[in-house]
Amino acid sequence: MLRCFLCTLMLLLAPLPALAEEQPQFTLLTSDGRQLRIVSELSPLAINRIHSWRLYLTDADNTPVHGAEISVTGGMPDHDHGLPTRPRLTGEPEPGVYLLEGVRFHMPGRWRMDFSIALNGGPDSASLEFEL
Amino acid sequence: MNKTPALVCALALATLLVWLLAPMSLPERWSDSETALIASLSLSALPLLGPDPGNAVADDERAARLGHRLFFDTRLSSNSAVSCATCHRPELAFSDGLPIAVGTGMGERNTPGLIGIAHSPWFYWDGRRDSQWAQALAPLETHFEQGAGRGAVARLLAGDAAYRAMYQELFGELPAADQIPRHASPRGDEAARSNWRGLDPASQAAINTAFANAGKALAAYQRKLMPGRGRFDDYADRVAQDGAVRQDGRLSRDELAGLGLFIGGAQCVNCHNGPLLSNHDFHNTGILPVAGQMPSMGRFDGVLEARRDAFNCLGEFSDAAPGQCLELRFARDDTELAGAHKTPGLRNVVRTAPYMHTGAFATLAEVLEHYNEAPVAMLGHNEAKPLGLSRRELRQLEAFLHSLDAPPDTASQWLTPPGKRQRNPERELPDR
Repeated sequence: MLRCFLCTLMLLLAPLPALAEEQPQFTLLTSDGRQLRIVSELSPLAINRIHSWRLYLTDADNTPVHGAEISVTGGMPDHDHGLPTRPRLTGEPEPGVYLLEGVRFHMPGRWRMDFSIALNGGPDSASLEFEL
Repeated sequence: MNKTPALVCALALATLLVWLLAPMSLPERWSDSETALIASLSLSALPLLGPDPGNAVADDERAARLGHRLFFDTRLSSNSAVSCATCHRPELAFSDGLPIAVGTGMGERNTPGLIGIAHSPWFYWDGRRDSQWAQALAPLETHFEQGAGRGAVARLLAGDAAYRAMYQELFGELPAADQIPRHASPRGDEAARSNWRGLDPASQAAINTAFANAGKALAAYQRKLMPGRGRFDDYADRVAQDGAVRQDGRLSRDELAGLGLFIGGAQCVNCHNGPLLSNHDFHNTGILPVAGQMPSMGRFDGVLEARRDAFNCLGEFSDAAPGQCLELRFARDDTELAGAHKTPGLRNVVRTAPYMHTGAFATLAEVLEHYNEAPVAMLGHNEAKPLGLSRRELRQLEAFLHSLDAPPDTASQWLTPPGKRQRNPERELPDR
């Protein structure tokens, strides 16, 4: 429980050299110590536009994690409602890189996204909170 | 004689009068976040209308001209008396002024306006259609709206010389009119369904194609109906530059106070956001059902119907690749959507009374009172919470809504039936 709480707090805005100026991104530490980097294909991130995210999952030693099953839920904690769409993973175009399609936000305010990661080594998770 | 009670009463009355009548104080500047929110509501922030991947003729002027004719043509109804424009009247921002729509029969819901609605990914109060062209087809086959049926629509396109020429220039060949049964549809009454079943697959496909193309032309026309800039937009653009609250009287004090509430304590902007003041999404706000009707399941049923619709983005009559049908493919369908209905835009809201999907409220004041109370929903849960606003604040909110009104940014030729030279009806309207 404490680890999950900590992983939520581990949200970092970590710009990467190649994409930093173009696409919004977040880097999370998962509950099992992996890194989940999230890159939005919509830039800047905005309400009322459906778009995709790319999820980059790597081990503690920065090795891409292939073959994970990742599901996403989320919503607005302050308004007690979920996401307006049902985003889901539609592919792994490169090892450790996952395409999350169907992301849309429909209100300004604080959003939370919870990532459940299924791996051979057991379940993993991470949470993202951000303001739109 | 003790005069204290009288003095206390007089003092209380004087205080009340001061509170009611004195001008409220307004801040000098909006905060940075308020300034950004106000700027986001301006029509200057409205992106150009994107393509409709399911409709290859969406931005073809010839399709818009065909759609314009169809929109005003009463022959597209079972009694030859009802057109799209019967319920979508240009002078009422393409709504009808009635609580519940009346077409060839009594309808079930309030008629929404059409100005700017082409920007929405979903149509109908419950989002049961996923494109404007698919939406345009539904009333043509709903018995209490127009109820013509796809056979009659295809037959009219094939048999009317002007329609036939316009259609064939855009879409190619049509069957001969005498080969198309007038009363044939898989969605009609028993006779229409029986006639439909009697057609061979090629004939059914030809009728379906002509029918779908009529919807695409109607959508091409409706994409012309865009909101015009009002006093609020000029104000918002000025605020975006310097954040000052007063902008040379562009908005009145009440309108400014109402704007402050709209983006602040009243929380309207949560759902009524963006330049059209709608997130185009679905929310349960505790509206009671129409008398005599079961509570509407709203989006819970709507999304299931959209998925079943033969004319949806993924269907054979769509021009879109499956990868372009994101809203349909990733639509949510859980029980939280029970009783949820679409957030209407507010650009011309002063012209589109009565309000809500049930037409339950005759005035904006009644709508605001409803949100102030946020009653418990009969079905699902009311997402809104009681606001506790004063009478004065409710009036200020209403005043702000009036500042959004403006004639549409649409050439006048599209606002009247084709071939009729009329003055712009929007400009003939008295203030409401």
